[in-house]
Amino acid sequence: MLSVQGVHKSFGSIRAVRGVSFEVRPGQVVGLLGPNGAGKTTTIRMITGFLPPDDGRVMIGDLDVSRDSARARAKIGYLPESAPHYPEMKVREFIAHRAALFGVARQGRERAVGEAMERCQLGAVASRRVGVLSKGFKQRVGLAAAIVHGPSVLVLDEPTNGLDPTQVREARSLIKDLAKDRTLLFSSHVLSEVERVCDRVVMIAGGELRADGTPGDLVEKTSLTPVHVIECARTPDPLPILRKVEGVADAKLEALADEGWVRVRITPRAGHRDLREALAAAARGAGLAVRELSIDRPSLERLFAELIERPGAVGVGGGA
Amino acid sequence: MRGTLTIARRELASFFAIPLGWVAIALYLFLTGGVFSLMILNPSTAATMRPFFSVSAWLMLPVIPAISMRLFSEEFRSGTIEPLLTSPVSEAAIAVGKYLGALWFMLLMLAPTLAHVGVLAWVSTPAPDAGPIVAGYASLVLLGMLYLSIGLFISSLTSNQTLAFLGTLFAILLLLLATTLGADRLPEAMRPLVYAAALTPRIADFAKGVIDTSHIVFFASCSAWFVLLTIVTLQSRRWS
Repeated sequence: MLSVQGVHKSFGSIRAVRGVSFEVRPGQVVGLLGPNGAGKTTTIRMITGFLPPDDGRVMIGDLDVSRDSARARAKIGYLPESAPHYPEMKVREFIAHRAALFGVARQGRERAVGEAMERCQLGAVASRRVGVLSKGFKQRVGLAAAIVHGPSVLVLDEPTNGLDPTQVREARSLIKDLAKDRTLLFSSHVLSEVERVCDRVVMIAGGELRADGTPGDLVEKTSLTPVHVIECARTPDPLPILRKVEGVADAKLEALADEGWVRVRITPRAGHRDLREALAAAARGAGLAVRELSIDRPSLERLFAELIERPGAVGVGGGA
Repeated sequence: MRGTLTIARRELASFFAIPLGWVAIALYLFLTGGVFSLMILNPSTAATMRPFFSVSAWLMLPVIPAISMRLFSEEFRSGTIEPLLTSPVSEAAIAVGKYLGALWFMLLMLAPTLAHVGVLAWVSTPAPDAGPIVAGYASLVLLGMLYLSIGLFISSLTSNQTLAFLGTLFAILLLLLATTLGADRLPEAMRPLVYAAALTPRIADFAKGVIDTSHIVFFASCSAWFVLLTIVTLQSRRWS
């Protein structure tokens, strides 16, 4: 299990990370989400032992990454952002070098390298120099190098950054596959990616933890209200009709290209999450023709934007 | 120290995987070959390798910084220092491994010049005295060890290879000049200290065929000191 306990890190007067705490249980895939400069990479560097925290601690199982650093680091597989590599080395050679650094015994090394390469589908480029490969393949080489010693915790920093859409799809599928038998933490600022790959999301911004939970839970627990969208006839005037419905806080009209039709966005009052039936009944009673009625539920994207722009405005609790 | 030899092997292999390693060896062998043909293989002179050793000592001034400049600078520039420092090997193992790799490369660069000794022994009657030759090679290896350790330390301070090259070159020149030309301008009390750190009298002793244990201890301990400084620098980068 990976446990981050109240870590702080400052660089001079800049407080990059402020008291971030979260846990990742075995077998969980957790996305560390935040905008650029949020403190994701600094947090990851403290987890992997590259930087020591000023305060707090990081535990890998029962090992403190700062105090029992080498043993803790041996349990982590790490792919830094941009997958740094030695361009002059051949793919197999590079992965074998990483295996040797992580103490994979000589007799089992060949097999471990072969398995990591097979898992990351690198067979076709085994004898090519890493420096001449495409970005997608370099990323795979980095992933193979990160898993070659069989780590129980895998940490990936922006693993799909700079990849084209096809490569992103392949990388996501590979990450899901790698997550089957280990704890996986990966950072990203791409929300759709986190939603697709992760069991849980940890959001940080300004160096602080802002939210922690499953993507569904976060959206469900959020105090952001679901917006109701109605496409209806322009006449009779829909605003007075819809504003009369109990629970409606506000209604705004949007023009549509279709002649005679408008879109109304309705914000419910707190505690009124689903007004569809009441709105439909009111429209029917007033003879207002409705061609579409839907709820625009708060998305992870909306939640994320609120958390970044107005910290504390969104009531989402933490918890593994 | 786990990982030291793994890092040393990778470092050595990397010199031969890029043009820099081959160019350094080729230039060194070309220039020392010229010295051997023009100054040593001369029927009118005594059979001695002395000109080769003195020219080689000067050639090390640009060659060793060229070897050492990328040891850490390249890791910092490319970002490979991050996976290296997050692997379960110590800063000491990383610094010593890189130093050993560069040292092996330097020894491989010197090794072909043994052919010069063979040729000289073959064409000379009587054969050249073995003492000064062994001492000469010992001086080159010890001098190379010291220069490499200085280069290793300076490359751990910057991500710019050119800066690492120039920094090492100037540091070595400063060491040579300060302990020779500068010593006479210092106060009387400081002179013994500076003379003790001087390289040229020690190299001159080796050239005479004298292998003084104190000289070996001096070069080995100075080299160890710079490797230690490199380890401290790496640790301070992590903790800064």
